[in-house]
This record gives sequence, C-alpha cells and structure tokens, in this order.
Amino acid sequence: MPIIETNGLCKRYGHALSVHDLALRVPEGSVYGFLGPNGAGKSTTLKMILGLVRPTAGGITVFGKPMNGANRLTILQQVGSLIESPSYYGHLTGEENLRVVQTLRGLPRSDVSQVLDLVRLTGQGKKQAAHYSLGMKQRLGLAAALLGFPKLLILDEPTNGLDPAGIQEMRELIRSLPRRFGMTVVVSSHLLGEIDQMADQVGIIRSGELVFQDSLAALHQRSEPHLALKTTDNQKAGDLLTRLGLLWQAEGESLLLPPLPDERVAQLCQTLVQNHCGLLRLEERQKSLEDIFLALTGGKEGSL
Amino acid sequence: MTLLRLEFFKGRRRKIALICLACLGLQTAWMCVNLLRMEPEELAQGWMQLVYTLLLVDAITLPLTMAALASRTCELEHKENTWKLLETLARPQALYRAKLTWGAILILGMLVVEMALFVCFGLALGFPREIPWGKLGLTVGNVFLVSLGIYALQLGLSLRFVNQAAPLAVGILGSFTGLFILFFPQWAQRCLPWGYYGVLLQAEMLWDPVTRNVSYAWLHTAPSDYGLLALWLVVLFAFSYRVFVRKEV
Repeated sequence: MPIIETNGLCKRYGHALSVHDLALRVPEGSVYGFLGPNGAGKSTTLKMILGLVRPTAGGITVFGKPMNGANRLTILQQVGSLIESPSYYGHLTGEENLRVVQTLRGLPRSDVSQVLDLVRLTGQGKKQAAHYSLGMKQRLGLAAALLGFPKLLILDEPTNGLDPAGIQEMRELIRSLPRRFGMTVVVSSHLLGEIDQMADQVGIIRSGELVFQDSLAALHQRSEPHLALKTTDNQKAGDLLTRLGLLWQAEGESLLLPPLPDERVAQLCQTLVQNHCGLLRLEERQKSLEDIFLALTGGKEGSL
Repeated sequence: MTLLRLEFFKGRRRKIALICLACLGLQTAWMCVNLLRMEPEELAQGWMQLVYTLLLVDAITLPLTMAALASRTCELEHKENTWKLLETLARPQALYRAKLTWGAILILGMLVVEMALFVCFGLALGFPREIPWGKLGLTVGNVFLVSLGIYALQLGLSLRFVNQAAPLAVGILGSFTGLFILFFPQWAQRCLPWGYYGVLLQAEMLWDPVTRNVSYAWLHTAPSDYGLLALWLVVLFAFSYRVFVRKEV
C-alpha cells in the first residue's frame, strides 16, 4: 500500500489551476523524487499533503488514512517536513528551536542532541539561529523535521543554499534514511541531477499535472539509445541502409539507426567500406536524463 | 497549556516585557503629573479622580500597547514563516487560543500592577483610607475586557498582514480615538470598541460653571452597556479566530 496516495487532487488560486487531477503514489520505504520546473506545483502539492493548504478537489490518504480535519494531527505526528525554506525563530538558539518542536511532539529532550548530531550541528546548538549561515539554517530545518524519527519525511528543495560538500552530505543522509530508520522520504527538487542520485521512485509534474510516475530505472529507459553514423557520402549510405532493410533517419550530418547487435554493426561497417562509403563516425547515443526531463516538462516553455 | 507555555518560551529575548514597562512608565509619569498637582481639598475625592484620570490615560496608551503586543507575537511567526511548522504540530484553533491567552495574561498582569501602583501613590498622597476596592476592581475588570477585545482585533490584523505597519496604524488610530473619545456623545462611544473605555467609566467629572469648581462622582454602568460590550467581544473574537483558522500557509 502506498504511504501517500492522492486522487484527483486539484488546487485553484483564483482562475489559475495550480494543481490538476494529481494521482500521486508514494511507495513505502522509498526515496520518492518529486521533480518539476519552478512553478510546476510541487510545493503546493506537498502543502496539500500536509494539510497546510486546502485542496479545491480530490482526496489525500497518508498511512492509509484520509487526510481530513479529524485525522490530520494524528497523521502528522508521524510526518516530518521542511517546506520551501527552513522555519525557525531567529532570536532562539538552535537547541531552543528544536525544543519547541520536541515539546509539541512530546518527545524526550535527548532527541534534540541526537538530531543535531545527525545533521552535524552539534557545536552550533547554543548559537542564535539568526546568526547561522544559510547552510546551517537548512540543516536546522532538517533536524526539526527529523525529530522523533518520523515514518514519513517530506523535504521541499532540501539542498537549497548548501555548498557542494553540504549537498553531497545531505544527499547521503537522505539516501540512508530508509535503511537506517525505516523512513519513507519524499524529496522535491527542480534539480534533476540531485534526484537522479537520491531517488528510487520519481514523479514529474508539469504545470500542475503529473506527466511521469515510475521508478528511476523506468525513467532512464526512456533515454532511447540509438546509433549515429557519419560517412563520406551519407546519401549513398542511406540507400545502402534501406537495401539492408534498416530503418534510418537523417539528423544533421548523421544518420540515426536503432540499436543493433554487434554482429549486425560489424556487417554494416563492412558493407559500407565495400561500397566505397568511408566510415567517419559510428557512435552510440542516448537521450540524457535532462533531455527526457525537458521533453516531459515542455522544455523552456515548461519553466518560469 | 503546552502551547501557552511555549508562547512565553518563544517570547524570550523579544523584549516584550519592555512594551508593558514602557506603557506603565508613560502612565506613571502622566498620572504623577496629575496627582501631584492636586490641592489638599481635592484629596477627599482622590479615588474618584484617580479612576477618572486613569481611564483617560488607559484609553490613550492601551490601544497602541495592545497593537504592539499582538504585533510582537505574530511578527515572530511571520519572520521565518514558522506557521508552516506550527500548523503541522498543532491545530490553528489551539494556536489562536494560546496567543489570545498569552495576551490576556500580560494585559491582566499589567493592569493589576498599574492599579496597585496607583493605590500606593494615592495612599502616599493622603487619599481617604477607605479604599473603594469594589470600584477599583470593577475599573480593572472593565479595562481588561475592553483591552482584550482590542487585543483580539489587533491579533487578527497582525496575522492577516505580514507587514505590521497596517495593524500598528490601526493601533495608533485607536489611541487617537481614545484621546478624544470622552468628548464624543455616549451613543458614538458605543459604536467603536475603543469607545468602551469611556462607556464603562466608573467616575465622572462635574463642572459647576457658577462656582467654577470641579468635583467627581461615582458612576454606575447600565447592564445594557455590558451587553453591548459582550456583543463587541463576540464580534472581535470571531473576526480574529476566523482569520487564524482560515489562514492558508
């Protein structure tokens, strides 16, 4: 059973439909990457799941229970979240900030030092949060979300403001959470590379609609590998390919072929040479994840 | 209770006590100027004059103080949008009740200290030894209820507007209203929440144009005025409660 399930989820702001008919399925124990360009509706969707924003239509179930007024806080007892930017009281120290969350969740005080340790803020706990760097604030937000080691963690762009070392550390931490603590993690991002390295399930949203939802492996399979051939006489090479019964199409200075077994490739090269068609390039190409993503999200038009 | 405790915890280093002390300081200075100018023959009516003048001072200083307190408690949530954290941990209704109760405790504390201070002043200056505890207690109670209603209004405004300039402007307008409210006819005073400082006044000033003497007398508030105040409180609480509960983060 998915840990989060949405059905026909919609959110309208005035005349604009920010989220349209979303059917999210987040498998338990996974790291679910929620991808989409800026303004696609990722944060709005996550806020609806947390009950911070009321859906215009549709239903949400979390842990198999409907997300409504009666169940909301009971469900959220087992959910940690970091939405858009870390929430903190600047005039309170890091520890004091976590004590607010710890008190409201009814957790032991020892959990505070444990999560500070986990996000590597141990030595900074006594400093006022307003004096933290951007990266430290992000870690504090994550620490607050991790307090109590909830079953479900929802993180909206958790690596914002982190330097490359911090991003790598955050990524490793997020990847380890299902294994170490049995958590399911939903991570939203507009950065493909990040999700590629963290997630095992992916949902891609464009203009409020879910355009892809499957495993990361399935997304990679859309890369459509093919061969690209460049010869001294592409016209002649094209005729030869047709006679050999191979489907091809021209693209710029290359002829594109579907993937072929090695023996067929060797045979093709021999045929070209025998027919005085000089072989300049033969390479394996596939769409990058970026190309797949841009194709799914409408390229530059899909972004704000 | 947990949320209420946390409201006091979150208030550390925000110098909220300074707001209350500043208000008390201004009131003390104002009242001292008035009380120290009293002639010996006026001391016999000292308690009535105290109640009358104190209410005037409260009508001017408390609206802005209520605005400042409401602003302080909402602004610390607006700053880094801790609403989205808090609303995953507690119901908006409970958050509202905690903020309202926090304010109520501060207001009551301030008013009790204020009255205690001026009772001591009065005794030191030579007011009659029979302290009219009933009237003084009623004054504190009336001012508390009116101020709580204004605080609820300001709480709703401070939550609604991230930029606290708008709610604070309403607070300043409220103080100006308080400045002139006793010159308004009673029916006009009843039309504004700030007017109830005047409507529930427990003493009145009497001016004799022939002898040019000023004297004071106790007033008794009609039950209908308490009924109207209750109506206002329902409206003001409902407004701020609705703003809190319907707020989307």
